Amino acid sequence: MNTQNTVTGELPLAIGLQITDLHVLRGMRLVINGLSHQQQPGEIYCLTGPNGAGKSTLLRTIANRLPVANGYISCAAPVVYVGHNDGLSGSISGRENLKGWAKINGFSCLAAEIDKALASFAVTGFADKATHRLSRGQRRRLALTRLCLAPANSLWLLDEPNASLDQASNAILDEAVIDHADRGGMILAATHSDFAAAGSPQFITLPGWCE
Amino acid sequence: MKPFFSQIERDLLIAWQNRQDIGIMLIFFVIIIALFPLAIGSNRDILGPLAMPIIWIAALLSILAGFDRLFAQDVRDGWLDQVSLSQLGLAWYALAKAVSHWLSAGLPLLVMTPMMAMLLNISSSQFPALLVALLVGSMGLTLLGVIGAALAEGARRGAALMALLILPLAAPLLIFGTLASKSETGIINPHLMLLGAVFAILLATAPLVAACALEIGETETGV
Repeated sequence: MNTQNTVTGELPLAIGLQITDLHVLRGMRLVINGLSHQQQPGEIYCLTGPNGAGKSTLLRTIANRLPVANGYISCAAPVVYVGHNDGLSGSISGRENLKGWAKINGFSCLAAEIDKALASFAVTGFADKATHRLSRGQRRRLALTRLCLAPANSLWLLDEPNASLDQASNAILDEAVIDHADRGGMILAATHSDFAAAGSPQFITLPGWCE
Repeated sequence: MKPFFSQIERDLLIAWQNRQDIGIMLIFFVIIIALFPLAIGSNRDILGPLAMPIIWIAALLSILAGFDRLFAQDVRDGWLDQVSLSQLGLAWYALAKAVSHWLSAGLPLLVMTPMMAMLLNISSSQFPALLVALLVGSMGLTLLGVIGAALAEGARRGAALMALLILPLAAPLLIFGTLASKSETGIINPHLMLLGAVFAILLATAPLVAACALEIGETETGV
């Protein structure tokens, strides 16, 4: 059940992310039809396409949350997923949420590292409040703070990371993404807006809804 | 093992923040027990033999009543996505949920039981057998509840579905549990051993069944 490596096939592990001839079914509908994609460490990719094109489906499949109908995905790096749901419990504080997340992943959860991560997304001011008291955007920033605790070589899967973020937080996120790519990490983000433009991301466009 | 204990720690922290839920469950337990004498009447000859079964039925209902939302919150928050990517794995996650749920619901119930037993005029010499049987039984019921909660997760009317799935399976625990509590042959009696056997089977299978159910359930929801 451990999903650090998602390998369904016989090929050796790629250094980065390798997706070959991927097909994913949602119910009776073929959402992803023969997608291939290769990504090396240090590369930023933006996933675009109309609503219902399968952007979230692709990210959730890479995160091993959805079964692969055909083809295979191989990724040697640890995967960090920030989806539509923030993965924060409303009853406890952002700091406790973050610490729990680091612990179940076996990442470092020293107080100093957590503080540093919180500071980098400028969430220190409300990190000790129960998260159900926070706004949508504040919770989003706390969820994104997870990215700073993951290892440098990890693959970030971001699903609409800009949703409900303000201008300043968008800038912080762009900076974090570019910095992560510089240190040899990978980013795959489903997004509508111009994302990390300074990092000159490459684009994958998924075709629209097909019956 | 560290991720396993971290999950328990997180759940206990959340349970402590929502501690009024535990209070509600305990009041539910007391009220069910108090209803029986009201309905049956205060005849000691009738109530006497019924005392143990009443405690067991009340415990069964109050433990299972708190279960339908066990995974719902984690699914809605997206925590389950994070868990399935982590080192924890869904089976260990389900077991951690069972442990933390037992600590926050089963244990308070067990602490409350001697008081309820006194209320029902059970002689104190029977307390140890009752408590030991209820200890094993409540842990078994918790594991059953985890299966039910995982299967019913995402379904409409999850609570009703869960009761339908779980209550028939709880029959062996109830049968051996009440017999073990009433046994005259000491605390460790054959009924307790059978109860323990049911618990051991559940301990081995429940986390795996729940993990499968959670994984399948996840593929059918969300976009």
